Amino acid sequence: MNDTTRFVTFPLGDERYALDSSQVKELIMPSRVYSFPHAMRSLEGVLIRRGTVIPVCDLRGAFGQGTERNLYVIARCNYAGRAETVAIPVSGDCQLVQGQREETPSEVTFVAGLLHTGGKTVPLLNLDQVMAHCIQPANGLASEARR
Amino acid sequence: MEALKEMERRPLFVSRSVKPVAATAGPVILFTAGGKRFAIEASEVEEIRDRDDRTAIRKLKGPEAIDFALQVGLGAGILERFVVLKPGDFSLGVTDVERMTLLPKVVPLPGLFRGAERQWYRGLLVLENDVIPLVRTEYWRKSAPRREDLGVAHE
Repeated sequence: MNDTTRFVTFPLGDERYALDSSQVKELIMPSRVYSFPHAMRSLEGVLIRRGTVIPVCDLRGAFGQGTERNLYVIARCNYAGRAETVAIPVSGDCQLVQGQREETPSEVTFVAGLLHTGGKTVPLLNLDQVMAHCIQPANGLASEARR
Repeated sequence: MEALKEMERRPLFVSRSVKPVAATAGPVILFTAGGKRFAIEASEVEEIRDRDDRTAIRKLKGPEAIDFALQVGLGAGILERFVVLKPGDFSLGVTDVERMTLLPKVVPLPGLFRGAERQWYRGLLVLENDVIPLVRTEYWRKSAPRREDLGVAHE
């Protein structure tokens, strides 16, 4: 155990994951996703939030998330060496919790550590790794997302 | 050419401002292809032709017109209009041309978009409750299939 701070927990697929609250800019209600042809796998389109264009990353391919969308988690991540902002649709409730972080072996895919909170253990999402895995050019084929 | 002049006569619409600014765009022409809206800078457009003027397109020197919807992965488009780019040797086949509008700002593509779309578009326009890609004309001029490649002789 080496850190105590605040985290945001949210459901992805059948699991519940956490992000350090410093990574989460905000949680927003479902909003219109604007789609346009592009060639990036997992990017669904963009949201407009206070005049800023935010890409929406659909993680269903990696986590088997349901189709229902209750919230978008607007989070910061590093992608290709740059700080980026991404909107992640999640189904279910999000919670702001306090807990203790425990490091895990680096080879655990998509997991940056474990969060111990309220008698439960929740995996901490390695968002940079998730983004690097999910968001890749789709071999020149354009992706078309739903509106 | 008449279609372009007709659009210039119509009233201009100004979009709401957006935060990130990559560049300033002058008047743009909005068109649809494959069921999606796109924009192209009016200063890059020589003229707009109807499908019935297809024979006129064929008389142009240089590359053949391309099916824009097909090129961006939307499937074969319904080509009703041809947006001829300056200096008049290349055109984009599109479904319809809506109108010309004035847009002060172009929003850069978010950094997560790192695929071919960076070549296809200069950025995004936020307009009338929609997000519309602004076509990067220089890319399409370069990438357009040459008529020689298609086995079509110059007329």
